[in-house]
Amino acid sequence: MKVPISWLSEFIELKESPEEVAEILTMGGVEVEAIENPYENLGNLIAVKILEIYEPEGLKDLALCKVTDGKEIYTVLTTGKTQVKPNLIVGLAKPESFTFSGEKVEVKAIKKFKSYGMFLSPYEAGLGEEKEKLLLLPEYSPLGESIYKILGISETVLDLAITPNRGDLLSILGVAREIHTLTSWKLNPPNFENAIKTGKKFPGKVEILDKDGCFRYAGRFFGNIKVKESPFYIQKRLWLCGLRPINNIVDITNYVLLEFGQPLHAFDWEKIEDKTIFIRRAYPGEKLFMLDGVERTFNEEDLVIADAKKPMVLAGIMGGEDSGVSENTKNIFLESAWFNQKRIRRSSQRHRITTESSYRFERNIDPEGVVLGLLRASELISKIAEPEIISEIVDIYPKHFIPPQISLFNQKLTKYLGFSIPSEEVENILKKLGQVRRSGYGFQFIPFSYRQDLKIPEDLVEEVARIYGYNKIPSSFPKSTLYCQSPSKILIFEKKLKDIFKSLGFSEVITYSFIDPKTLEKLNLEKNDPRLNFIELANPLSSNQSIMRTTLVPDLIETACFNFFREVNSLKIFEIGKIFLPTEDLLAKEPLHLGILLMGNANRETWYENLRKFDIYDLKGYLSSLFEILKVNVDFKPYSSETFLKSGVSFDLYLDGEKIGFAGEMKNLVLKDFDLKTCVFIAEINLQPLFEKMETLEREFIVKKPPKYPSTFRDVTCIIKKEIKIKEILDFVKTLSIPYLEAVDCIKIYEGSPIPEGEKSITIRFWYRAEDRTLKDKEVNEIQDSVAKKIFERFSAKPR
Amino acid sequence: MISEEIEKLKKEVWETFEKIQDLSHLENFRVKYLGKKGKITSLLKSLKDLSLEEKRRLGKELNELRDQLEEKLKIKEREILFKEEDKDLGLDLTLPGRAFPVGTLHPLSQIIDELCNIFSRLGFEIVTGPEIETEYYNFTALNIPDWHPARDMQATFYLKNGALLRTHTSPMQIRTMLERKPPLRIIAPGKVYRCDADVRHSPMFHQLEGLMVDKDVNFADLKGILTYFAKETFGEKTKVRFRPSYFPFTEPSLEMDIECVICKGKGCRVCGEAGWLEILGAGMVHPEVFNAVNYDTEIWQGFAFGLGIERIAMIKYGIDDIRMFFENHLLFLQSFK
Ligand SMILES: [Zn+2]
Repeated sequence: MKVPISWLSEFIELKESPEEVAEILTMGGVEVEAIENPYENLGNLIAVKILEIYEPEGLKDLALCKVTDGKEIYTVLTTGKTQVKPNLIVGLAKPESFTFSGEKVEVKAIKKFKSYGMFLSPYEAGLGEEKEKLLLLPEYSPLGESIYKILGISETVLDLAITPNRGDLLSILGVAREIHTLTSWKLNPPNFENAIKTGKKFPGKVEILDKDGCFRYAGRFFGNIKVKESPFYIQKRLWLCGLRPINNIVDITNYVLLEFGQPLHAFDWEKIEDKTIFIRRAYPGEKLFMLDGVERTFNEEDLVIADAKKPMVLAGIMGGEDSGVSENTKNIFLESAWFNQKRIRRSSQRHRITTESSYRFERNIDPEGVVLGLLRASELISKIAEPEIISEIVDIYPKHFIPPQISLFNQKLTKYLGFSIPSEEVENILKKLGQVRRSGYGFQFIPFSYRQDLKIPEDLVEEVARIYGYNKIPSSFPKSTLYCQSPSKILIFEKKLKDIFKSLGFSEVITYSFIDPKTLEKLNLEKNDPRLNFIELANPLSSNQSIMRTTLVPDLIETACFNFFREVNSLKIFEIGKIFLPTEDLLAKEPLHLGILLMGNANRETWYENLRKFDIYDLKGYLSSLFEILKVNVDFKPYSSETFLKSGVSFDLYLDGEKIGFAGEMKNLVLKDFDLKTCVFIAEINLQPLFEKMETLEREFIVKKPPKYPSTFRDVTCIIKKEIKIKEILDFVKTLSIPYLEAVDCIKIYEGSPIPEGEKSITIRFWYRAEDRTLKDKEVNEIQDSVAKKIFERFSAKPR
Repeated sequence: MISEEIEKLKKEVWETFEKIQDLSHLENFRVKYLGKKGKITSLLKSLKDLSLEEKRRLGKELNELRDQLEEKLKIKEREILFKEEDKDLGLDLTLPGRAFPVGTLHPLSQIIDELCNIFSRLGFEIVTGPEIETEYYNFTALNIPDWHPARDMQATFYLKNGALLRTHTSPMQIRTMLERKPPLRIIAPGKVYRCDADVRHSPMFHQLEGLMVDKDVNFADLKGILTYFAKETFGEKTKVRFRPSYFPFTEPSLEMDIECVICKGKGCRVCGEAGWLEILGAGMVHPEVFNAVNYDTEIWQGFAFGLGIERIAMIKYGIDDIRMFFENHLLFLQSFK
């Protein structure tokens, strides 16, 4: 909402600078977003001196002027051939600037002549009526200076952000009233003593058929008017508020809308069939070609202003193209109404139209301002459009608005604010907002009709507090019940995981919950994969953010891409976030998932270390560390079934026989579809079962004590077939029930010469320890020999 | 005479001892004087021809000399060995050390953690809830019926089934109050969504909701809690101010500003020359909201607040493009180590 200080000053005596006024409004809850000078916003409108004048060849209606701004020399073409003279100082709108009429100035070329801007008339400079005359500047004006600085002309406009509850502030008068409320500066309310209250008999008929949609409908007939351009002061005020002038009648409706906040609509009387106006529900399927050039189809929820045959206006929102005022209009009907804010809102939402009018009706208007707006417009029309006939006012107001009566008890106010404001002060504040009467331990209050937002005692608490000053109310700490709380376990779990990954050197990422369905296609999932059953957005910003993710994989890979194309070739990242799965219900299942991605090298090339690429054992190792810390047993089952992973370099992860995730290397072909040409290892785990498992797990916390007697180890080195997996051997060892065995591990694997093709050499280390004595070499050897023998037999191993 | 020889030897021994510099000197010395054929040993041997009394006297003197020497040599040897370990091995100590990769949590996670800690100290309990919501929880129960223009304040992503992506964390107020009985004191951090994308707006961002309900928590308490939060987050010297505002689910409503951390209130580009930065919205819970969850407004009152995590991170770290949080460039992430 743009509020020119010059206009505002007609209604209130401002005793401070615009900056101070802005501060008062902001601290009163009416945020001032900017203090503007619309003249400055036009751009470079500067003083130039005409040096020489030529008649451009073949363009005898024009003059080509050489001008200077004190620094450079330009050529400018002008139609004001008879007005230009050397040494005159005139106003020039330079290219890229704007003129009052909204035109953007550009470098123009006619034939071979270029015009670097446009000479200004007083009108185009936004200074006066004259359009044909050149704007002449004083003789000694500094060249290149802004014409407004030279003429000492400026306008200050406050740009206000009005909260949706305060429809009453969507007018100059409303803002003036608000400043008065906040400061008590003298208010000059509009005077209607000399208003044209009566007139000839209304020559038509008005009837409200939809009393739910229209609470009050008033109007007036004006005969034999002159539709023309508005006087300059009206145009200028509209321009200051960001509206374009159209013709005097339309401009007056806009002027009154801006001034009083009352939307008006002017009809061409001749277009009204049978001179009958109905305010009714639209018939289903009824159509109207509207002012924005779009034909819309209505339903019964829409409220229309219709004549005997057809709808003319979508009430409170926008008129039809046909029934509006044009240059040829002679007689008009001017409407001023109060429509149901809910109905207007729903229609404007359904048809996606927001206008100055609908914006105000949605936020509710002053029911008692309906006729006042009409009176104000009548005054302006009679002055400007020279009507020969003015009718009486028709005012159909079936059910008068009854403002609520609100009780505010002192005790309520104090209890709510935690601070006591003296009663006299409360009374003085309330007096500015309505009628107030002391009663018992508080006040009885009836708000002014324009304060439609005041309904309940809490609303009054806010009014009193904000006008008293939020910052004058002291701060305190609650005197509250102390109660025990159990912290959210899933959050603690999540935080624990994050800390584990941080300590393992991972960087956490956060990616969007919505993804591109195409990225799922790239994963090559099976047709019946549940991840293809996703939730779609009805109104996505773009197709690449149009579905809710069902896996973290696409986001992780795209993060890898983003980094890869910005010179980060190696990455070690994780994300903990929700995925979204549809249910029978409106709401989704939102399990928390963990995603891990490794890309490129495991280390940096340094003086002490060669580069090493990440491999599957890095990924497995990190996951193992995680499960070790969580004390859960997760099985790494080789050869994942995920279609986007290299089967031979991947696992499915199982917890108690249920698959909870996967880990492995991404297929190169899949990565290629993401334009990523590097190796990527990825894992995704559903944290829900992991969390539940941890919750149910009996924590068998085993504290290890320092051993009393030394341990000893023996190695078995042998050559076995390459296909034999280490896990098979370790599992076999477990079955042997070896005495004193403390730990067993594969410590060396070797393939290649001199080991024959298809075989490998392995070393397995066995640790022995007795709890009650030092083991003798001899007994360990005996045990170990028998173990070695069994291994050799079982796996057909050969000695190395 | 032997006793003169002994005197001479003593002098020689101590003079030579003083000159010992390294282990080889020391070894030579030991051989020369204490070895099997060393001077002291030889002298001791030559005593056998002397009188018993002289033998005893001189023998004792020589033995004492030998013991003393051995004692001193031991000390000397340790000194030399000790020094030897200080020797320059020719290492280039300017080389960097073997680094262990340091991980980092996302800046938004760090801010959320920090805020959760601050409010936990005040006894607030942390709760979470769904990101896909219904109209009812996201709007209607929060006193924002479908015709309410306040819906314009939050451009909503709808889903094809009619549900929506929550536009704020405020539905957690309703969910928590429906689940529990007052009094309560909760915060709810999480992701929220709005159809808006530019340098300052992300279609997905994070909020933290706060709600306290008790018999007489009031507006002054709300100011107290929020001031404490601001000082804990932005520093003890942070100045705050409160402006009236409007949210359909609070009455009275307010917005809190902190003095601009960049210009310290003088006015700059970041704060739009205002000298203040808007940090959060809050207010006393609207009676309609209590009605929606069947809390008796004759007994209970409370306050709620909501703040944007990204905004706080941007102010704290001087970040001017919100999209950076979700691009996750490694260099950006690693700067929050
Ligand atoms: Zn600043």
